[in-house]
Amino acid sequence: MKRETEIHQLIKAVVDGETKSAVELSERLLGSGFPVEGLIHEGLTAALRSLDAKCTNEEFNLLEIMLAGRSMMAVMDKVAAKYLPHSSTAEPAPGRTIVLGAIKGDIHELGKHVVKMLMKANGFRVIDLGKDVDPASFVKAAVVEGAGYIGVSSLITLTIPYIREIREIREILYKDGLPDIKVLAGGAAIQQARPDDLNVDYIAKDAFDAIHYLNSVGVGV
Amino acid sequence: MTSYERLLAAINGDFPDRPPVAPEIFGITARLNGYRISQYVTNGRIIAGSQLKAREAIGYDILFAFADLSVEAEALGCTLRYEDDAYPSVNEHILQNVEDVKGLKLPDPLKDGRMPVVIESCRRLRESAGNECVIAACVMGPVSIASQIMGLEDFLYQLVDNPDGINQVLDFTEEVAISYGRALIRAGAHCPVVFDPVASPAVIPPSLFVHYEARRLKRMYDSFRDEGSRISWISIAGATQKIIPYFKKTGINLATIDYVVPIREAFKLADNIALNGNLKPYSFVSCSPAEMKEEVRRCLMEAEGKGNYIIGSGCEVPVESDIENIKAVVEAARDFKY
Repeated sequence: MKRETEIHQLIKAVVDGETKSAVELSERLLGSGFPVEGLIHEGLTAALRSLDAKCTNEEFNLLEIMLAGRSMMAVMDKVAAKYLPHSSTAEPAPGRTIVLGAIKGDIHELGKHVVKMLMKANGFRVIDLGKDVDPASFVKAAVVEGAGYIGVSSLITLTIPYIREIREIREILYKDGLPDIKVLAGGAAIQQARPDDLNVDYIAKDAFDAIHYLNSVGVGV
Repeated sequence: MTSYERLLAAINGDFPDRPPVAPEIFGITARLNGYRISQYVTNGRIIAGSQLKAREAIGYDILFAFADLSVEAEALGCTLRYEDDAYPSVNEHILQNVEDVKGLKLPDPLKDGRMPVVIESCRRLRESAGNECVIAACVMGPVSIASQIMGLEDFLYQLVDNPDGINQVLDFTEEVAISYGRALIRAGAHCPVVFDPVASPAVIPPSLFVHYEARRLKRMYDSFRDEGSRISWISIAGATQKIIPYFKKTGINLATIDYVVPIREAFKLADNIALNGNLKPYSFVSCSPAEMKEEVRRCLMEAEGKGNYIIGSGCEVPVESDIENIKAVVEAARDFKY
């Protein structure tokens, strides 16, 4: 019962972005012999689910997701990492690897950072190409890294003219004989468009929607 | 009715002769007149000339004195990344520590950065259009200016981690917005439109809008009214339903709503202030003129014949829009009978 209460407190601390208490609770749990896998699945993953539910209810805001993400990463880096020394060397499958970047002309990266954080917390390997990324660079990185997905962000409505650049990714993929790499797009500017407008496989409403999509498609697995 | 009379009638709750049309038409006017966006955002003569010619050709009811969202941040010392045919954006933030805000100087709207460019566009627009059409100048809100000078990520974390420091920064950015807004009115704008995208519930929770932004907006609009503005206009994109009920208390009498906010619901929440929206900006690119007319009819139906409904877009009409789509919106408004 006590352990259940502590896990419940951990979930709440992560969702509320209370980093200090999330780290302390995790240390206490793992120190008392609770397995690190349990901490991740029953604590962090449950916190993600709770955030996801908030998102679905349209109560999403960037700040709360960032605060929860910061707490989650602190638990992972400062506490769980000590108990998971070999986890980062695991071979990820193409279906668990994504290349992310803000499209050419867009230097806004915050939304992409949030997506990256949540994808990592969900066990994806994320190759972050940063901002102002040329369409061809997305494709090159996906091939080099053996990624099953390319994720393109365009953050604000004013970057709408650059959306057309996203279309070029598909053309390069086809030209290079790589039709199996799925392209998804996200960001405020992009949500007004349809997948056909951008020539992408999917337009994600938010970070969680993107993760649902990745989990549902399962490239190469 | 002139465009000015039409818009004011709607804002004051009287019935205009037809619904006014006031979408956020900025850089597309440069494209229509053969200019690159980089020329538009750096030249007050080009802004004014492009705005006047586009309105004359299309027939909508608003003129905007606006370059881009980074004018205030640049005047405060941020470096921008300029593009040839797109808007510039903030490249380097100037405030590494919130305490350093004490060392920042209030920009002089007549001298610093491109504020004089927008001031000149106001003067020219007023000289040409007089009181025939409302000239709206755009001012960034305190939350967005703060996020630009600090960087959005740092600003958001500090909002929670260091509320006292953030209040100091916001007091300063409020002062920046007030002084620039008043200068724009003195130069000829009928009103400033306050853009505060970072104050949207998509970015910060509504409780923080109430805590940090609402009282500042009230002081800004009070100050703009003192300078002679009769329109207190806010434009915040995203699902703003949870903050709309606070608008009236801050003195706002016109709010732009985005495509994700249903018009009928917004009117209920807004306690009868005038609303402008909610055409989807990208539809100006992707739809046909016939579809745009249908969209306008949908908006008018949702507005249930209210005289204080203004046809507009929740965010900027994209620069690559089809001009025929803007014409179609005006035609649909002209066809409508209350």
